[in-house]
Amino acid sequence: MQNNECIYISEQFTKYQDNSLSSEIRARIDAHLTVCSPCHQLYQDLNKMLDQLHKLPPVSSNQDFTSNLLHHIKAINQEPFWYKIYASSYTRIAGSAIAAGLIVALGMNIWIDPISPRSPQGQRNFSGEQKAQTHPTEAITSQLDSLQGSGADTLELNNSTINSKGSSLQLVSGTK
Amino acid sequence: MTDKKTDEQLIAEFQGGQEQAFVKLVDRYKDRLINFVYRFLNDMTDAEDLVQETFLKVYKNKHAYREIAKFSTWIYTIAGNLARSELRKRKRRKTFTMSQLSFDDNEFTPVDPGKDTEGIVFNTYAGEEIMKAIKELAEPFKTIIILRDIQELSYEDISTILDIPMGTVKSRVNRARLKLQETLSYLRE
Repeated sequence: MQNNECIYISEQFTKYQDNSLSSEIRARIDAHLTVCSPCHQLYQDLNKMLDQLHKLPPVSSNQDFTSNLLHHIKAINQEPFWYKIYASSYTRIAGSAIAAGLIVALGMNIWIDPISPRSPQGQRNFSGEQKAQTHPTEAITSQLDSLQGSGADTLELNNSTINSKGSSLQLVSGTK
Repeated sequence: MTDKKTDEQLIAEFQGGQEQAFVKLVDRYKDRLINFVYRFLNDMTDAEDLVQETFLKVYKNKHAYREIAKFSTWIYTIAGNLARSELRKRKRRKTFTMSQLSFDDNEFTPVDPGKDTEGIVFNTYAGEEIMKAIKELAEPFKTIIILRDIQELSYEDISTILDIPMGTVKSRVNRARLKLQETLSYLRE
């Protein structure tokens, strides 16, 4: 490319080859190609290249192409109805959405309150009754306080069980 | 006897339940589509697989076709989308590099095996050179060159297949040809 005119001319080559330019522009290109040897060379090279493109050796399908395809289609048609539903893209999308929803719900549940009971006052059981809950350490402290009040100086918790949130701790022996 | 039914008549028959019409469409388009996809992927096995997938999509979604577009542009759009998607997958996997795939791996069927040997050698050599240059092109240029200069589709059909205005098709064809010429010169040096 030598100047802006060369760039303009090269941009018109396809339309020039298709014969879809106005006579004025066509004449302008003709005139340019006679005086500008790089553009003339480029135009000739483009024509040769197009000729090569048109002569590209075609490739053909395998002889078994159609029979393989029909065999594949037959196999699809024989798939059971439930499998078609399972394999359909709509089912996959719906399944993924449900799975994502469950993961989010589970994640939020853990994130909001992973361990402690929701209400410090206690939990409701299935019948709606409110169970009074006392923290195990509070129970022991209150027992110790009562012992101290009575003048005793030892507390035996042999074979006692402390229950807390579904887990239990059995004390075999313990003294204060 | 030649079947003079148009593609649109055949797909209408297939939509009406005549499976034989589908087979006729397969016979009409399989080679054209394989040539189209093969120029994209440079791999005959992958090209056949992808064209099989294209026809399966047509089979499964036959009712998605409406006679507002030509059947040819519809099926080329499906094949083109699959080919582009395959190219993107290859790029992601980084298994498709210019240096890895030698042209020795590609199979070329000469246009006319009856031609003299010199002609075949020239054709194959020129074909390899051009294919190598096409492979170097950016995807939009590659697509347009394959559709226009190898498949020889009309500007109007290309505009429908690529969903771009006709003016853009024409200017892109011009730029793609110049780019291809530049790449060929570079490869010949």
